Amino acid sequence: MPLLDIDTVSVSFGGLLALDRASIHVEAGQVTGLIGPNGAGKTTLFNVITGLEQPSSGEIWLDGVAVTRTKRHKRARLGIARTFQRLEPFGSLTARENVLVALEMRRRWATERYDPRTVADQLLEQVGISAVADRKVDSLPTGTARLVELARALGTAPRVLLLDEPSSGLDDDETDALGRLLLELAAGGLGILLVEHDMSFVMGTCAYIHVLDFGQIIAHGRPEAIRLDAEVQRAYLGTAAGQAT
Amino acid sequence: MKTRSNWLVIAATAVLVVGVSWAAWAGAPVTVTSLVDLLIFALPLAGIYAMSATGLVVVYTTTGIFNFAQGAIGMFLAYVDWELTVSHGVPQVIAIPLTVLVIAPLIGIGLDRAIMRHLQGKELVVQLIVTVGLMFAFIGLANMIWDQNLSHTLPTLFGEGGFRVAGIVVTWARLLTVVLAIVLAIGLRLLLFRTRLGVSMRAVVDNRGLASLVGARSELVSSFSWALGCSLAALAGILLAPDAGMSTSGPLTLLIITSFAAAAVGRIRSLPLTYLGALILALAIEWSQTFLQFGGRWATAPAAIPTVMLLVVLLLLPQAKLQFARLNVVRRTERISTVRDTVLGMGVLFLVMVVVSAFLSPTNLNQFALAMCTALVAMSLVPLIGWAGQVSLAGLAFAGIGAVAYARLGGASGNGFAVILAFLVVLPVGALLALPALRLQGLYLALATLSFASLVELVFFIQPFALGTQSRPAERLHLLGMHFDGTRTFLLLVTAVFGVVGIALVALRRSAFGRRLIALRDSEAAASTVGVNVLETKVAVFMLSAGMAGFAGAFLAQYYESINQAQFSMLAGLPIVLALVIGGVATVSGALFAGLFGLVLILIQQSWHLTLFRAIEFLAPGLAALGIIQNPSGAVVPIGEAFAPLLPWRKDAKADADELKAALADPEVGDLGLDRPFTEADVIILDRGLAITNDIPRPTAPARSGS
Repeated sequence: MPLLDIDTVSVSFGGLLALDRASIHVEAGQVTGLIGPNGAGKTTLFNVITGLEQPSSGEIWLDGVAVTRTKRHKRARLGIARTFQRLEPFGSLTARENVLVALEMRRRWATERYDPRTVADQLLEQVGISAVADRKVDSLPTGTARLVELARALGTAPRVLLLDEPSSGLDDDETDALGRLLLELAAGGLGILLVEHDMSFVMGTCAYIHVLDFGQIIAHGRPEAIRLDAEVQRAYLGTAAGQAT
Repeated sequence: MKTRSNWLVIAATAVLVVGVSWAAWAGAPVTVTSLVDLLIFALPLAGIYAMSATGLVVVYTTTGIFNFAQGAIGMFLAYVDWELTVSHGVPQVIAIPLTVLVIAPLIGIGLDRAIMRHLQGKELVVQLIVTVGLMFAFIGLANMIWDQNLSHTLPTLFGEGGFRVAGIVVTWARLLTVVLAIVLAIGLRLLLFRTRLGVSMRAVVDNRGLASLVGARSELVSSFSWALGCSLAALAGILLAPDAGMSTSGPLTLLIITSFAAAAVGRIRSLPLTYLGALILALAIEWSQTFLQFGGRWATAPAAIPTVMLLVVLLLLPQAKLQFARLNVVRRTERISTVRDTVLGMGVLFLVMVVVSAFLSPTNLNQFALAMCTALVAMSLVPLIGWAGQVSLAGLAFAGIGAVAYARLGGASGNGFAVILAFLVVLPVGALLALPALRLQGLYLALATLSFASLVELVFFIQPFALGTQSRPAERLHLLGMHFDGTRTFLLLVTAVFGVVGIALVALRRSAFGRRLIALRDSEAAASTVGVNVLETKVAVFMLSAGMAGFAGAFLAQYYESINQAQFSMLAGLPIVLALVIGGVATVSGALFAGLFGLVLILIQQSWHLTLFRAIEFLAPGLAALGIIQNPSGAVVPIGEAFAPLLPWRKDAKADADELKAALADPEVGDLGLDRPFTEADVIILDRGLAITNDIPRPTAPARSGS
């Protein structure tokens, strides 16, 4: 049984089908990729999983439990965490405080006892932004703010982590470091769903990839298979000249 | 579920209408004549409401600014018309077109150019407060020009003559009003759908940024909208003035409440629905005047009809959509004091008050005490508006409920427990107001709180268990064997209380709860995805704010020693919010500023008896509100920066900037071009990213797998 199972989910905005019976599964302990051209419905899917939007049909299962109608904050407690493509940090709080908000909420339901400040500093260290712990996030560059969102998401001690283009705004070295971090987190048992445009990053970190186009899953499989899939090349890779050849 | 709650609201409204009609039935027979009579009065009234509301809608949809000053502008221009006709003998045939078609549009264009254009993308509370300030500025200006000790009356247009329908005289003015409203509706329809400007306006409504990209001239549109809005305000004002009477803060200015009730029916968007709203409202008002009779504890209830309708409409609105990625909102820079700094600051404040109060006259001591009580009320809004981002205009209304609770529950003899009871009693009322806050956002929430304040003013205070039709005595505290009866001891008591509450508030801001509120304000979506229960947090902060306001109300009650409804009216509450926003809405020092601001104005007024200063009470807040366009963080931030060198443990702005630079220079978080220079390698990487060149070896960056 997959950790997170998105079962034939559809979302329509007015007459437009943003998601059309999309099914995706995310396994614990590995990074799963979700790729597709802009407007394919990737962010909508994230919104449905985290409860920011309601699907018109379909179910979302977390470890065998349906969470389709569960309230947003309860999904966080059940172990779903995310970052946002268009940044949603708590901009007037510092990086450390951003992580603290998550950690202080988690104390309400976590079984283990911990000191939020110590853990916050550990998480900032882990994503590599200790140097800006006391800066307001509004004053940070985009890439760094994304890492703050990652640390904040990790603060909820998730079982499934949804990352929406985490590498945009990062340079190559930082992207490499991020890739290593994600693999490390997955090795610890976390299930990661990664939306990304940087194909080499996706191919380098993901164990399994789903391809979304016009709201439909057009292919899924291991990276090598996806790379060779003609449909995928036509829909997506063909437009990113030279990136993944 | 949404439809179920909608039916509930509709059913409750029906029960309310039938119940009120039943209970207040005056006994007049319902005949064809009385119904025609009702209609003849209601239709022109509906026309006036529709004109004013249409002005609101046009401005709001095209510029995103909700013009609180719509009524006040109409009032001002009605006075201008009076000046021209009554004072200078210009015939109305010339004066009205001159006012409505020349002066009003010029004012509108001036406002757009000078003020409103700079409000784009500012926080909602700043946008709201600037137009509230504008309302006060117009009241102040009118007070300055037209001495309110003299009476001004605008005679009915074309005299009392008219024609008869079913035995009732329809005056020419009433006919003209209805005809104008209809012509206006048709004209606007043609403008919006048949002209290039109208198409631009509609495009701007749909998407301002996009519209400007495809060549809609958004600047022209906003100037035109403001001109049109002011013309409509003028027309409504001039037509209403002969019946409603002229005064600067009377019915003409308050037409704004009726207008937004009508506009809310069309979600401040649809003009046909706005007309429908105006009609329903006018019918309801005339219905109550023709067939119903209110007295005793319900004497002021008919005045609440627009408010009730507004509240009903707001409750019928669909759940606000979650907002994401509000990147264009200009955030405040706010410095959070440490608890230690606050303790020091409050200590200094208290010592200054001890020294200053020794030299003040009793009158001035009183003014200072009022200032500190006001600051206490303003402070109750800091967590709610400043931190949680929930714009509430009902702060003083809660203080009023607190004042009543104090007076009723032991305050009449100065019992110290009454202060705590005032806090506790208001808590559940705050929770009640939080309910609409769970559905509504932004402007709609602000309007809901405003209607709540209006209901408290019109329906709550007059109840026998509250104040009845008189005032209620409140004794100053007996505490720890002391009686804080003297003005100076009372001032020092309130200052000390302000200090303690202020310190507690700063400590709260630095706690987990404080962070959660900021998180909610900065991104509700993100806050909920890290496990913050939005419902619970909003209810909690509304209760906290209400309780604090109730507590402050207990001290206001002691200040006045005899409380009445006027001290806590809806309009009296607006300047407090205004001054708080001017001072800095998220800080305790902003609340102190709010208190002292009113004090300074009163002192200026007392010291110089000039015409200019007679109006300053209204004019100055208005002008100061315009200042926050330049500095949305509030006045205390620059004031604080100026004093920062005196506090050596504080970093100054430059050291702060240097530190950020150093932190970002850390190679882990470097940002190209900002803190490290472009290298040849960067150029190659960029070229590759932009697909300009391909397969060029990259000298520094390591090759990655898969490429």
